Amino acid sequence: MALLEVSNLSKDFGGLRAVSDLSFVLNQGEILGLIGPNGAGKTTVFNLMSGFLEPLTGSVRLDGHELVGLRPNAIVKRGVARTFQIVKPFRKLTVLENVVLAAFLHEPKRVAATAEARRILAMLDLTEKADSYASDLTLGQQKRLEIARCVATRPKVLFLDEPMGGLNPTEVEAACDLVLKLRGNGITVILVEHQMRAIMKISDRVLVLHHGVKIADATPESIVRDPAVIKAYLGEEAA
Amino acid sequence: MSKNRVIGTLVALALLGAPLATANPFFHHLLIMVLFSTLLGVAWNLLGGYSGQVSFGHSAFLGVGAYATMLLHLKLGWSPWLGLVFGGALAMAVAVPIGLICFRLRGPYFSLATLAVAEIVRLVALNWESLTAGPQGLLITHLPELKLFGQAIDWETKIPFYYVIAVLTLLGMGVTFIVSQSRLGAYLLAVREDIDSAEAAGIDTVRTRVVALALSAALVGMAGGFYALYFRYIDPDAVFSVALSVEMVFIAVVGGIATTGGPIVGAIFLVTISEIFRERFQSGHLIFYGLFMMVIIRYLPEGIWGRLRFLLRLSTQRA
Repeated sequence: MALLEVSNLSKDFGGLRAVSDLSFVLNQGEILGLIGPNGAGKTTVFNLMSGFLEPLTGSVRLDGHELVGLRPNAIVKRGVARTFQIVKPFRKLTVLENVVLAAFLHEPKRVAATAEARRILAMLDLTEKADSYASDLTLGQQKRLEIARCVATRPKVLFLDEPMGGLNPTEVEAACDLVLKLRGNGITVILVEHQMRAIMKISDRVLVLHHGVKIADATPESIVRDPAVIKAYLGEEAA
Repeated sequence: MSKNRVIGTLVALALLGAPLATANPFFHHLLIMVLFSTLLGVAWNLLGGYSGQVSFGHSAFLGVGAYATMLLHLKLGWSPWLGLVFGGALAMAVAVPIGLICFRLRGPYFSLATLAVAEIVRLVALNWESLTAGPQGLLITHLPELKLFGQAIDWETKIPFYYVIAVLTLLGMGVTFIVSQSRLGAYLLAVREDIDSAEAAGIDTVRTRVVALALSAALVGMAGGFYALYFRYIDPDAVFSVALSVEMVFIAVVGGIATTGGPIVGAIFLVTISEIFRERFQSGHLIFYGLFMMVIIRYLPEGIWGRLRFLLRLSTQRA
């Protein structure tokens, strides 16, 4: 069943068509990989779906409810959370405070919000770091903190923007397990990633963007053999 | 919590006793100006300190409060003290649409917009002569009699004014303390840290900032009402001036941004310094005032109170 339905989404930056007539569906419980060469429009798609950018045309529906036109925080309230490619934790706050802020969305009382935040930190292996300042964490930990903050808003759908970028192989492995764990907790995930091995391993389906156009939408196995995809990544001759 | 309560009680007692220390009216005037400045700093801090939204237009709210208090008394015969409270409410009401418009902008653009809004309000007050008497200003010659415990209050002395401003300042500090402990306070910090992240955490950053601005404006509006009644004369250039707006920023910055106690330290320093320099150097005092500001911003960016708190924490950790 389609949980999130994107139809005819387009966005221009000046004369550049960053996203062009993009349509796809996201099914309940799925992990959808979103890949494409640099500048393909992946992050723009996230910004459009999460309300940080206004699309030129198109709609994004969650359970049939339109999200386009809502402010980012309103979209989060509906159950769609996102992380940022360049991490943006609240640097001068502690890890716990970071997550408590997000937990306030559903638990207005500080005690309840703190309890919820601690539970989420435990789930993301950040308990030891609870009292550290966010700015003191490693990049891998900061990326997990951003995910923790998202989880605290109780999302149905989670957009992860390069959660594995800049991580070492062990951390990538852990990040893969984490994404699977999130899905196990009932969260549907869209993942932008350049770590091909990771994305092929955990995605149920992969969507390929090139110059803002969808060029493939299939299982990981068939994506790697798709001539259009190979051409986009490696050029005409390779295909 | 109990430590805060002890500090609160001590501050309240000190405030209660302060004017009894001397019968010198100049000293009373100084105390009043310190508390008035503290209230302005406290109010500005609520928005500028906690949420990092630097407003250069807070004199708009001060002026609205001052004019509301004066006009309600002069034209409708309201008790000026009731007018003062209403002035705060009116400043709050004015702040909401201003916030909804200006908070679409970020950082320096927001600051510039507030500056522009304050100028617009000043020009309206200057030119709407049928209501405000324009540049001529408004004057209250005589404050209506008010009885407390059967005793008429003598408005010709400064002491009653001192207690009025002390209550208002305590109110401002109380509001700040409650906000800093609440969800709103946490949300304001999130806005200061990163607006995008705050939105991504589900925080309505516009509403959060508008609420903080409204509270801040209400306090400044009441301070404006007090100003009108204490000096008994206002004109647009006095209560809507950019200098006043900037002074509110200075008080909070010198004292310590995003602290409950900082503005009182900032106010004590700035009021005394400007009075001392004014006495010695006449109009040249502004040079020293500016020099002092530069030293603070360069060497104590966290403010005097912020630095003291930091040193105190260090020493208790070592002990």
